[in-house]
Parts: sequence; structure tokens; C-alpha cells
Amino acid sequence: MTEHWKTLIAIGVGSAIGTIGRYSLNLLTLETGYPFGTIIENLFGSLLLGFLTAWFLVYVPKEWLKAGLGVGLCGGFTTMSTLAADATFLFQTYKPFEAVMYVIGSVLGGILLALVGYFAGSFLAKKIKERNKEVNSA
Amino acid sequence: MNLILLALGGSIGAISRYLLGLAIMKRFPSPPFPIAMLIVNLLGAGGLGGFFGIYYKSIPLAAYEDPLYLTIGIGFFGAFTTFSTFSVEAVQLYNKKKWAKLGTYVFVSIVGSIICFLIGFKLGKLIV
Repeated sequence: MTEHWKTLIAIGVGSAIGTIGRYSLNLLTLETGYPFGTIIENLFGSLLLGFLTAWFLVYVPKEWLKAGLGVGLCGGFTTMSTLAADATFLFQTYKPFEAVMYVIGSVLGGILLALVGYFAGSFLAKKIKERNKEVNSA
Repeated sequence: MNLILLALGGSIGAISRYLLGLAIMKRFPSPPFPIAMLIVNLLGAGGLGGFFGIYYKSIPLAAYEDPLYLTIGIGFFGAFTTFSTFSVEAVQLYNKKKWAKLGTYVFVSIVGSIICFLIGFKLGKLIV
């Protein structure tokens, strides 16, 4: 199998898992009547992708693994189209304050958590690499 | 059964996002800012709006038993668009201290997605 096909299959599998996870969280939070599910998914997915992005700069993975986890799993778990739909729905139901809070919370929270994930991933990967070097040279 | 539909829509959505992203990056190798996922998100938000407009004529909140909603709404368009890549690309602009680009990217992504969703939704309702 060529690398390209491996990558496509990994993305498909990762996104299938991510999508089912997103659906399950949406169902769990359905009775709150507020799109908490989508907020949690977008924030957590941003944190994870931030972490992976930095981690993979230190430990360079196979292309299919990187694409499967990043493009597939994180990409499929998070969503922009539902965010747009949720925000529009909240505006239309005369809850402009909730709509604005939803959008600002998602955007600021998502970027902040991606930043936290990025620094955590970078820090951890470098620490572990240094320690392994010391162990190997000792 | 529901899980199979979600998996199907979700995997096709993400693979389409990846392939379209590659095609855009090939066409525009060095864009002023990350336009590939921006275009994908705007298209996907518009598409979801169109689907809701045509099929429901409203924004369904809890159509979790409808196979088409699961496959197309949550599966395909949900996975075709992405939020995590948006956040990480924003962080990369932040790390490079490109403040104006960061502001533009965030604003156009979010406000643009909502506007595209609305346009798709209104057009969809008009068609049927």
C-alpha cells in the first residue's frame, strides 16, 4: 500500500472515532439545552492538537500516524460548522448574550488551550528526550 | 446502526477536508495566512446551513434519531470542518507574533463561518 493510501485510511479511522466521540458527548449534554457538548469538544480537541503539534516536532512520527491523530481524530472530534449553527440558533431564539458568550468562550478558550497544549507538549517532549540522552550516555 | 452512519459520514468528511486542503495548498503554496482550513470551514459551514435549510427549514436541536442528520449533519459536515486546526493555526500566528494576521484570521474564520452558515440556510429554504 502506498503512503498516500495509508494516510487516507488513518484519517478516515481517526475521524470516525472522533465523530462518534463528538456525537456521544452531544447526547450526554443534550438535556442541558445549551451546546455544552460542542464547547467541550472544541476546547479539548484544541488542547490535544496543540500538544501533538509540539510533540511531533521533537519526535517526528510516520506521516500516517500524524495525519490520523491530527487531521482525523482531532479534526473529526472538533467542528466549526456546528459552532456556526449553534451560534445562529442562540441568536434566533433571542438569546444574544448566550450566543456571544458561546462564540467568545469557544474562540478564546480554544486558542488558549491550544497554546497550553503546545507548551506542555514542547516541554514534556524535550524533557523526556534529554533524560533519555542522559540514560544512554551514562 | 447510528454509529456506522456517523463513522461513514465522519470519515468521508475528514478525508475530503484533507484532500481539499492539499489541493488549495498546491494552488497557493505560500498564502499570506492559513487559507486552506479557512476556505474549508467557510464551505462546510455554508454547506451545513444549506442542508438544514433544504431538509428541515429550521435549525434542528435534537434530531439525534434521524439517520440523515447523523450522516450528513454530525458526520460529514461536522468532520469536514474543524476547530482544532483553527486554534493551532492561531497559536502558530501568535508564536510568530503576527498580530494583524492573527486578528484577521480569527475574525474571518468565526464571523465568516456564521455568515456562510446563514447564507446557506436562507438559500436552502428558498430552493425548496
